[in-house]
Amino acid sequence: MYPLLFIGLGKLQESQREAREERASTVAVWGAAPARLVDALKADRTIEPVAWAEISPDLRRRFDQGSIVPPSETPEPPAQPERESGARPAESRPTEAGRAETEPDDLVTQAARDALLRRRADAILVLWPGLEAALQAGRMGRASMYFDSVNQNSTLARQRVGRALETFRRDVVLQRQRARGLDEGFSVALRADATNVAPRQRRTGQALGTFLPFMLIAMSLLGGLYPAIDMTAGEKERGTMQTLLCAPIGSAEIITGKFIAVWIIGLIAALANIVSLAAALGRIMPGTVTIGPSTYLLAFVMLVPVTFIVTAVFLAVAAMAKDFKDGQNFLMPVYMLLALPAGVTMVPGVQLNAWTAFVPVINIALLIKALLLHEAPPDLVFLTLVSAFTYAALAVTFAASVFEHEQLLLGGREPWRTLLGLDRRPGRLPSAAVSLVTFAVALVSAFYGSLLLQQAGTITTLVATELGFFLLPGALVVFGLGYAPRETLLVKRPALAGVVAAILLGLSSWTFATGVLMRLLPPPEEYVRALERLVLFKDQPLPLWLIWLLIGVMPAVCEELFFRGLVMSGLRRFGPAAAVGVTALLFGVAHASIYRLLPTVFLGAMLGVLAWRSGSIFASMTAHAVNNAFIATIVHERWIAEALGLGGSEMPSWRLTTFGTAIMIAGLIVLWKGTREGNHRGLLRR
Amino acid sequence: MPSLVATGLVKRFGGITAVDEVSFAVNPGEVVGLLGPNGAGKTTTLRMVAGILEPDAGEVRLGDVDVIRQRIAAKRRMGFLSGDTRLYQRLSSREMLWYFGRLHVMGDEAIARRVGQLARELEMEEFLDRPCGSLSSGQKQRANIARAFLHEPDLLILDEPTAALDVMSGQFIVQAIRRERGAGRTILFSTHVMGEAEYLCDRIVLLHRGRVIDAGTLSELLARSRRSNLTDTFLLYAREGQESRIPNPKAIHAQTLHRPDHRPQGDPGDAARPAHAADDGRAAGPGVSAAVHRSRQTAGIAA
Repeated sequence: MYPLLFIGLGKLQESQREAREERASTVAVWGAAPARLVDALKADRTIEPVAWAEISPDLRRRFDQGSIVPPSETPEPPAQPERESGARPAESRPTEAGRAETEPDDLVTQAARDALLRRRADAILVLWPGLEAALQAGRMGRASMYFDSVNQNSTLARQRVGRALETFRRDVVLQRQRARGLDEGFSVALRADATNVAPRQRRTGQALGTFLPFMLIAMSLLGGLYPAIDMTAGEKERGTMQTLLCAPIGSAEIITGKFIAVWIIGLIAALANIVSLAAALGRIMPGTVTIGPSTYLLAFVMLVPVTFIVTAVFLAVAAMAKDFKDGQNFLMPVYMLLALPAGVTMVPGVQLNAWTAFVPVINIALLIKALLLHEAPPDLVFLTLVSAFTYAALAVTFAASVFEHEQLLLGGREPWRTLLGLDRRPGRLPSAAVSLVTFAVALVSAFYGSLLLQQAGTITTLVATELGFFLLPGALVVFGLGYAPRETLLVKRPALAGVVAAILLGLSSWTFATGVLMRLLPPPEEYVRALERLVLFKDQPLPLWLIWLLIGVMPAVCEELFFRGLVMSGLRRFGPAAAVGVTALLFGVAHASIYRLLPTVFLGAMLGVLAWRSGSIFASMTAHAVNNAFIATIVHERWIAEALGLGGSEMPSWRLTTFGTAIMIAGLIVLWKGTREGNHRGLLRR
Repeated sequence: MPSLVATGLVKRFGGITAVDEVSFAVNPGEVVGLLGPNGAGKTTTLRMVAGILEPDAGEVRLGDVDVIRQRIAAKRRMGFLSGDTRLYQRLSSREMLWYFGRLHVMGDEAIARRVGQLARELEMEEFLDRPCGSLSSGQKQRANIARAFLHEPDLLILDEPTAALDVMSGQFIVQAIRRERGAGRTILFSTHVMGEAEYLCDRIVLLHRGRVIDAGTLSELLARSRRSNLTDTFLLYAREGQESRIPNPKAIHAQTLHRPDHRPQGDPGDAARPAHAADDGRAAGPGVSAAVHRSRQTAGIAA
């Protein structure tokens, strides 16, 4: 499509432009024209001045009588020389007749509009009475151009006449200066010029970045639209959905099959778009556009999460439609809603930043633009991808939930509450969908919440984030939907071994996390400093016990109840490895930084193992609090840091890392030996 | 062969209760007809029994398989056919059968054998390789039956299999059902063609407005309604508002489950015997019915 579209449109525009350029502009000249001015107009071969063309005899009489006056403030005085105070052409204004006229300039405008709309002339040049006299007397003459901006020929004529008049004006000024023995620079005074230093690559990146992401996203999304309708509403309409439901396959298999098919079609559409775009750009603008294959590849990689989200949304929505037509009616608005925001790249000034990185679709559009400009910071790329995959997971969960409801697939209706899994399930554990959705909602609101709270100071931000975005949503879900609180949140007294292991792990896990994992992807210095400022409350120094409370205890309680409690409860049915692993990954992602991802995932896994094995949330809370408080203490009390060989903010030494890891392993052994196998069996229940 | 036991099935759509406390049992090798006017809840009941629609309450068991909780295991042992199970227009019958054979995890050899066998039995050879979209409705229904019978299921659930077919095609289907019955398969089917029910069924369950209003052999139903044929019985119940006619609905309800089966397992003699021969007078056997009866009290069916 693109080569045809681009080359075809390009050729058409080009030939039209050429035709227009070759065509001479007919310019009606109203008013007495000085010979020099006529010459100046005629010097441009493309202007054909016609004196007094298309003017009514009555208006011409007024011109001849000099009873017509220029507008007091001409909107666009192109040929107007520099204003000199008192140089208004008042002397040529006839006082007696002029006053009697009602808005005499309007007469001219009306006549000009009339002539231009009938296309009798391309433009009209009005030389107001008294022009010639003013020029000869060394004063300012007045001329006006009338044109029709809708008519391209007229716009072109205006440009041509404007250029000719400007040339004429310069000549007049030069002559006057010479006559008075003035230097050429007298009237110019200052000439300033600007040089664009942006490399060509950046300029083309900017140009492409404005429209390319939108086109790519809009066209790629279209690829999956009809397959999604066909495979859901279309199957219902053709009656094969029920046939499929008779077969011994689960709804997960059906949605997975359909999802993969639609997604692949979407990806093929995206790839085809990128390839033909590359071909088209290379063909029409050889040399001017220098986009390497790596940029195209990156753009394609960016389209992977977009098509993923959209496929899931399309399938979920289309599955609710009764037939194909219904499906189209449902999906078109959804398509618009998803594709149009990608046009944000055309709005000047909107950039990828912490805010936009969390807005679905828009973030990818802006990221593609940033990639084309070669200015995408890794942390924002990470955030964008995290949020993109969070939304993708949400969309897929929703699609899967829709396909769980056979009633819908058989052509019936289901209430939204049921579809979203918000039916009360008293006494039970949350489903995986509820866990994931709560996580996604908490993550996005915590992210925007903390941005909003930035001005409010560190303590407020910290307390509000922990209580407002982790504890509160968690409590709302557990109590609002009536789940069994003790079993969901693992509220149970831990065994002594669990507590001992928690303390050992809390004291030692960080050595491995920072000493090994952070070495793999060291954060930039400024990031470490910012983190240190946060931990130390540099803005308002606090006593150590308050730091322990704010950094140690509070996050441990809120985050553990949320992650190892609520989030993990929905995943427990998949077994310990999946539950602990996925919860740890989500825990890491929630820390919203690529540099902290590995260490936090690791710590999350340790906390998950503690909670699972001891069957108690208090074990993981203890370890979490000890870990946080210990690190805060090291940063706060320099002497401890120095005693441990952590002078500046460098990584722990290998000796310390080995020592810490040994304690950590000892902790794990205590945990395994001290907790019975059957301790966590109950976690798998239901 | 396992028995099918449905207990207390309830399904509501919005505020409407489409199926209200429906219970019945189908003994191994038995043909049971579900009869009722449009909107009686036949299709919804069959869908729930087939494991493609989750009931709001109640339980369905096929032998030792809980149909609602172990849907996939249950579907492996069932063949479901209804007016809403259509064919993929662009696939030929052969391709469609192979596709469903794979979904049933049948081996290639088994699929090939069954496709050949069914094509012969259902006289599908001439159109086996034509796209399903180009077939006549009778041919489509035969292909559809082949799909439902393909994996040699223990239980066949047929929702108005002869609806919208001409007499010839309808007869073809009826014969196919008789053949499967002869092979000892358990069959549950719905219809509103009274003749078919009289001809095919060992027992009949009458549904009206989502409730079982009577159940039993043909002669039992006729005796209770004091009518001479099933059509009149049906009209009587449909017209007059069922439950008032039945002295004790609860007793009928229980009897639905109590229906004994006197045929020895694997008795092939059915095909020879007139289908509508009065089946009453069968001796009550303890087997399934007793277990089912127990289950209604203990809520844990042990059949």
